Amino acid sequence: MKISGAYRLSLPQERAYALLQDPAMLAHCMPGAERLDKVGEDEYQMKLRMSIASISGNFDGRVRVADKNPHQSFRLVVEGTGKIGFVRGDGLLRIAAEDSGSNVTYEGDVQVGGTIAAVGQRLLDVTSKMMIKRFFDKFAEAAASA
Amino acid sequence: MIPQSFDYSAPATLKEALAQVSSGAKPLAGGMSLVPIMKLRLAAPEQLVDLGRIPELNYIRKEGSELRIGAMTTHYQIESSPLVRADCALLGETAGRIGDVQVRNVGTIGGSVAHADPAADYPAALLALGASLKLVSTGGERVLAAAQFFLDTFTTALDPGELIAEVRVPVSSGAGTAYVKLAQPASGFALVGIAARLVRAGNRIGSAAIGVTGVGPKAYRASEVERLLAAGKPTREAALHITGGIDVNSDLHASAEYRRHLASVYAARAIELAWSRTE
Ligand SMILES: Cc1cc2nc3c(=O)[nH]c(=O)nc-3n(C[C@H](O)[C@H](O)[C@H](O)COP(=O)(O)OP(=O)(O)OC[C@H]3O[C@@H](n4cnc5c(N)ncnc54)[C@H](O)[C@@H]3O)c2cc1C
Repeated sequence: MKISGAYRLSLPQERAYALLQDPAMLAHCMPGAERLDKVGEDEYQMKLRMSIASISGNFDGRVRVADKNPHQSFRLVVEGTGKIGFVRGDGLLRIAAEDSGSNVTYEGDVQVGGTIAAVGQRLLDVTSKMMIKRFFDKFAEAAASA
Repeated sequence: MIPQSFDYSAPATLKEALAQVSSGAKPLAGGMSLVPIMKLRLAAPEQLVDLGRIPELNYIRKEGSELRIGAMTTHYQIESSPLVRADCALLGETAGRIGDVQVRNVGTIGGSVAHADPAADYPAALLALGASLKLVSTGGERVLAAAQFFLDTFTTALDPGELIAEVRVPVSSGAGTAYVKLAQPASGFALVGIAARLVRAGNRIGSAAIGVTGVGPKAYRASEVERLLAAGKPTREAALHITGGIDVNSDLHASAEYRRHLASVYAARAIELAWSRTE
């Protein structure tokens, strides 16, 4: 499933670029993330607890930052597997300076499989978008006080 | 599949139910949304508190200028209530369009509202009607407008330990209302659902309230359409703004573009039908 969108941050471009790759920020802002441990350069192991619409489940996965083009763009790859299914997201984030802040646009592909996908087919698009929005909302809030 | 084992209780009073919910028990209403998820083991609550034996959560009555509906009132009870038909026909019409007869016989308004499925039918009507919800906990109660209650996809303002006790709908006097929906044939859920409430001023629309479901991340009021209608714009022209400012859903059954088109067609139908019912 293709997914794209934009989010405005009141952070200068360089700072937005750095913070969006900061493992502490990712761990803090990814919905349900319980921990994020470094396993290599730009690669982290993640534990996540998803809970939505009475559905809940644990996921083990990886987060990887790739194709770094400093201050302008990078790719974020998130993969998780759990009893209730699997999720894989691969997105290109572009960060552009805009007025005193920056504009982040993302474009990518989300795949969801297993039981959650079988029951939630009609809801994958809205829920993915909501998770991304939650991430950015929390990110904006955390960045403002960082 | 068989769900993981859980504790079950069915108290006879709201007070007992609240005590259990406050210590972490999961409320069970009609079970139409919750039980299938448990059977697939997508949810494994350790303790369920069945609200089905609590008479004080099942009623429809008129108090002043409001209809008050207990959370455990089923879709069928609402659809077939003479009181609802007379005083808030929009809610009855909406209830009658939910799923199939089995679902309507068991599913409840409280369960539907708490679940907050982005394609559920009630939220569109509740927003158009300016309804509110009474939420209760061991600590007391509060009343929230529907617009403040539905926060996002499957996300409501309900706090842990809180239950929906009652839905309150202003009595519609003199308004013309309609709920029209295009149901996805397999699930019954709305690809698009439009609730319209119009008040006539002579030969034109005096004020309009339009609730939309199935189209965005949550149900919403189409305020631009409402404004254009009240300003005397033709229905079809106004209806084109039904998805203004909304990030439109896309899924296997309908792309965002197709949904946008459907929404404007169904909005025009709902407005025309509501208009034909104004007094
Ligand atoms: C085949 C099928 C088709 C359907 N089609 C439609 C449709 O077209 N349109 C539509 O709108 N819906 C549809 N539904 C959903 C249906 O309306 C459900 O009845 C409703 O969403 C949930 O109500 P319930 O009483 O069954 O709640 P449950 O499944 O028992 O509970 C749902 C959730 O709400 C919580 N909850 C329940 N009551 C309360 C309360 N009083 N306070 C706080 N939390 C509470 C539960 O803990 C649970 O998380 C369909 C369902 C099925 C199975």
